[in-house]
Amino acid sequence: MSKTTQAPKALRGVGNFIDDRFHAAKMGEKNLRKVFPNHWSFMLGEIALYSFIILLVTGVFLTLWFKPSMMEVVYDGPYERLNGVVMSEAYASTLHIDFAVRGGFLVRQIHHWAALIFVASLVVHMLRVFFTGAFRKPREINWIIGVVIFTLAMLEGLFGYSLPDDLPSGMGVRILQGVMLALPLVGTYISMFLFGGEFPGEDIITRLYMLHVLAIPALLLGLIVAHFMILWHQKHTQYPGPGKTDKTVVGTPMFPGFAVKAGGFFFFTFAVTAGLSAFVQINPIHLFGPFTPTSITSGLQPDWYMGFMEGSLRIFPNWFDFQIFGYAVPIGVLVPGLIVPGIIFGGLGAWPFLEQWITGDKEAHNVADRPRNAPVRTAVGVAGITFYGILWLAGSNDIISETFSISLYVTTYIFRVLAIVGPIIAFIVAKRICLGLQRRDRETLEHGYESGIIQQLPSGEFIEVHKRNSEETTEVLASKPEITSTALTEPETDDKGVKNPEARKAKGRLRRALAEWYTKDNVSLAGVEPHSGHHLHHSDEVVKEHASH
Amino acid sequence: MKWITARRRHPLAGYVVVILALALFGVGYAAVAPTSDQAQAQTLAADVQSPEDVDVAEGKTIFDQTCASCHGLDGSGGEFGPDLRDVGPAAIDFQVSTGRMPSMNPDAQMPRKPMVMTEQELASLIAYYNESIRNGDNGADVPYDVPDIAPDFADFEPLRSDFDSEEDYHEAVEEAEAEYEAALEEYEAEYDDYITGVDNTDMGMRLYLTNCAHCHGWSGGGGALTDGRWAPEIHESTPREIYEAMVSGPGAMPMFSDGVLVPEEKQELISYVKTLQAEPNAGGIFDLQRVGQVAEGLIGWVVGLALIVACAIWITAKQRAHD
Repeated sequence: MSKTTQAPKALRGVGNFIDDRFHAAKMGEKNLRKVFPNHWSFMLGEIALYSFIILLVTGVFLTLWFKPSMMEVVYDGPYERLNGVVMSEAYASTLHIDFAVRGGFLVRQIHHWAALIFVASLVVHMLRVFFTGAFRKPREINWIIGVVIFTLAMLEGLFGYSLPDDLPSGMGVRILQGVMLALPLVGTYISMFLFGGEFPGEDIITRLYMLHVLAIPALLLGLIVAHFMILWHQKHTQYPGPGKTDKTVVGTPMFPGFAVKAGGFFFFTFAVTAGLSAFVQINPIHLFGPFTPTSITSGLQPDWYMGFMEGSLRIFPNWFDFQIFGYAVPIGVLVPGLIVPGIIFGGLGAWPFLEQWITGDKEAHNVADRPRNAPVRTAVGVAGITFYGILWLAGSNDIISETFSISLYVTTYIFRVLAIVGPIIAFIVAKRICLGLQRRDRETLEHGYESGIIQQLPSGEFIEVHKRNSEETTEVLASKPEITSTALTEPETDDKGVKNPEARKAKGRLRRALAEWYTKDNVSLAGVEPHSGHHLHHSDEVVKEHASH
Repeated sequence: MKWITARRRHPLAGYVVVILALALFGVGYAAVAPTSDQAQAQTLAADVQSPEDVDVAEGKTIFDQTCASCHGLDGSGGEFGPDLRDVGPAAIDFQVSTGRMPSMNPDAQMPRKPMVMTEQELASLIAYYNESIRNGDNGADVPYDVPDIAPDFADFEPLRSDFDSEEDYHEAVEEAEAEYEAALEEYEAEYDDYITGVDNTDMGMRLYLTNCAHCHGWSGGGGALTDGRWAPEIHESTPREIYEAMVSGPGAMPMFSDGVLVPEEKQELISYVKTLQAEPNAGGIFDLQRVGQVAEGLIGWVVGLALIVACAIWITAKQRAHD
């Protein structure tokens, strides 16, 4: 473009007005040029953001008609099947949204589907960050914010699920109360406080409503903004490749390239959510009927993100329950209801610091790890996924039992064993796969890639022709970092033969053992020259011979 | 052969072999495994007669051939089957009309199956049971005023071999169609009367959700029970079968006699669950079998999120440098 076009006068006027007051041009120039990496896995967090926006918009729509009240009313409305049924105002107003408000049914379904997709996208985004080591310095704080967002999102979903006061939502609240009651000493007080008396009382819907539409969304919004500002300041990580270092970012500028992509992606996310909502029935509260404390049904689960809690409660045995001074201490509820999620979320939050402590790595990392190049971290992640996944499956053990005609008790025993054995096997398998991939990488780096062409040498020997890797592949493969730990490099004794005081303490010994575990078995690239392997030389010879013929 | 030789080293060949082997075993098993049709005596397919006229002698034949091997010739039970003398005809009608009896494996819980005999044969069997096996009037009677299954055209259809000329046969078919239509209309009126004859949805709902839903599920989809048993789904069950199940308490199910739930309450309950099952799915054409949250979570991941991620891959795709 040799010709510069001037903006229309009206726009210029407004632009100058704003610019004179806020220095918008300077800010805009810097931020509009912000570079985003080009890889699909960096879009996963955006799915969460867009689903959250959809949730906010549809949620506002729903609040216009929803009445968070447990006042009993006799239903008289367009849904004739339930006419004359006694129900809470919350349930009746949800029926009103479904059947009397134009588009209400669709919007409620969009809200629900978007919630499922929101939490699911949080999970996959978090897994991407974990497996690529993107949580490392300088991004530990943002990682923790992410863990908190995930936890709050689950609570937000659980409370929202409870609001319509239909049969499954009442059962969910009942389980929540059960876990609360299991707390020693304070359990009953907390329950009485939250419910304003005995279960179900008359307050719980109003209180959950406040939490669902005000307190938690405000917290979530604040945390998401913080997450973004930190991201904006620190910039994305990027996968290794030519020109990508800890100090430079390569990708598409925010404007226009990335803005167009991200805008289009929002509409795609919305389209999928709306499409699902239009065709697939979700949480048909009008069919379930209102909750009464005597009602209960088989085959009902919480939404998927609470499934692991449900499963943990279902499979944990009651062998450890005991009584003290006539008070029951239900370990069978306490451990699965509080300790297990505590381990999962606490472990997630603590991992960056644990890893840093083990390796002693204080460097800032902006180039992401390839998962295979950090085999222990990857294996820990896979073991975590396995543990979570097995608990999640166990949460639907009655559906599994019925669908596949497996005895219900057998599923419980299988899941109990799997919850312990599964993660161990997953760790070993994942680590071995990583190491195998590392070996293949080293071979590819050294010998080039297999072209699939078999040739016969004059001596009669057959070889497969290897070809030289592209520059990018070479760069990516050669970028494999050496996994080390300062715990292993610092000497056990100083030059006077005095034992290192750090290494003598229990903590120091633990650190050394963990460092050993974290770094061993790695495939080293030391001494490997790209394209120095004999396969390639054979191939080169063949190619040369061909050329001379 | 050449075709196979060329493809047997294909990367997918192993999977194809496994899938073929699985299909072969599955189909083979299905072909070899005994079914209840084979397990019962084939001689039962008798000529269709009007369901009203009952033949006690035929009932005895059926009982001796089909039931006695487990329950004993006098119905007093044996190693494989329980004593039938006190269960009442409602239990007989329930077990046979839902295809659970005759059972091919006395140790396993029987699933619902098509009935192996005709309505008329069942009526004869019940008549024989009442006359010769039942202890006094122990057990519940068949609730004949509760609608059962819809009439089946096969019961009305004339046999071609009974007629000499094609014209006579056509006339008879037309007559049978008219009879069938009339019977169907009568049945539907009876059914509607029963289902809509009560209007206390609240009572029906509370009775169902308090007494039935914790095993059979909120809309009668069934559910898993302890010790490898399950509560069957009750979508296909007729009002009479549900009523009979309540008064006879089959398998692990508790008994709800007419003293516990009076017939009007049973009618409210049956009306509630049948109306609920007939409800259209207002939320969309895919109802996910009304399984609920497990199915929704699965769809949310494998359809919803997967499509969006596929889109992310699509919009960030670039041509890779060749290597």
